[in-house]
Amino acid sequence: MNEADLNADVADRMLLQRMSAGDRVALATLYHSYHGRLCRFLARLTRRADVIEEVINDCFLVTWQKAGDFRGDSRVSTWIMGIAYRCGLKALRQHGDEPVEDDAVPEERIPSTDPDEDRELRDWLGKGLDRLSADQRVVIELVYGVGHTLEDVATIMQCPVGTVKARLFHARVKLRNVLPALAGESPIYKENVP
Amino acid sequence: MTFPMNTSQDCLRAWEAMPWVLQDSATQEQSEWLKNHLAHCESCRAEFAQQTRLRRAMSLPSDIPVDANAGLNRLLSRLDAPMPQESLPFRSRPRSGNWLARAMVAAVLIQAIGIGVLGAKLLSTGNSPAYRTLSQEPSPVASGAIRVVPDANMTLTDWNALLHSLQLQVVGGPNDVGAYTVVPARSNSATQHTLQKLRGTRGIQLAEPVASTP
Repeated sequence: MNEADLNADVADRMLLQRMSAGDRVALATLYHSYHGRLCRFLARLTRRADVIEEVINDCFLVTWQKAGDFRGDSRVSTWIMGIAYRCGLKALRQHGDEPVEDDAVPEERIPSTDPDEDRELRDWLGKGLDRLSADQRVVIELVYGVGHTLEDVATIMQCPVGTVKARLFHARVKLRNVLPALAGESPIYKENVP
Repeated sequence: MTFPMNTSQDCLRAWEAMPWVLQDSATQEQSEWLKNHLAHCESCRAEFAQQTRLRRAMSLPSDIPVDANAGLNRLLSRLDAPMPQESLPFRSRPRSGNWLARAMVAAVLIQAIGIGVLGAKLLSTGNSPAYRTLSQEPSPVASGAIRVVPDANMTLTDWNALLHSLQLQVVGGPNDVGAYTVVPARSNSATQHTLQKLRGTRGIQLAEPVASTP
């Protein structure tokens, strides 16, 4: 954990402490602080904006109610992502886990400031993520998107570290074979993991 | 876990180090080793370039617009609202337990009341048992009582007429052998005379004073 992460965690713990005393300003601060990364994280599970907002609010309702119970065994961000992951799985069970197709997202809802390069990058990534299972997408998001360690991801997904390593390996091999290579070489890796 | 074929141990090490070097959580030694390896391994260089692109793509903000302020307002409204329906199971569980406990208590009370009523009934019948022990005093017999055995063919009309004419009333019977216990309706009636009349009446098989019974 680098210094920036440490400082962020200290600030988050202070917000939790204030929330446990009923401070709604602290809740609003934490909500805005996590909203972006939770949106992106949950977008790996569903493409429905209403479901994403519902899950974020479910997550922060639990965070608000349990703020006083946080024991500090992990980083606050790991704790909140774990809650969001479980709320997300619950929402998928209720709403069905079929994500809305990308085509169903109106063109005007994509930020107009998105440069062409980012749009190309999104399309490139989308081709790869479509081939992954939900669990593999979550692991890739937590490692490459959020920057969590294997141990953090295991805590969030409530599974052994070995399971996370296997999911990460399978996901990387699949992406390596699916995503168009930059240098134009053909895929060379094969999945030998049982 | 086995690594993809046709790769050296160094490439395996590079493959495993890439995500952590990219997210800046690898040690400095690990980062420098990877940098040196990439300098002379074209395959891993291409892989690392793709991993770098993957990380950049994953870092892009979500393309699904979700209004944070509107969401926060809805969350605050939920905090002020009564407990939502989905939370009820956690709270209703003890309630359902209370109902179950109450039902069980009611059942036990009903059983207790039933047992009490039954016990009281048994106690009340226990005051007059259908048997008598030898040590018990015999039940008092009215003076002038006569045990009478009418004939089986005697009609009820004749029996009633006989009792009326002799001013007798039945106070017991019939017992197992068909005997009735009769006493004079008026205490001053002459028992001996009544006894003779009974014995002389047609249809009366036996008439004996109770006092003379051994």
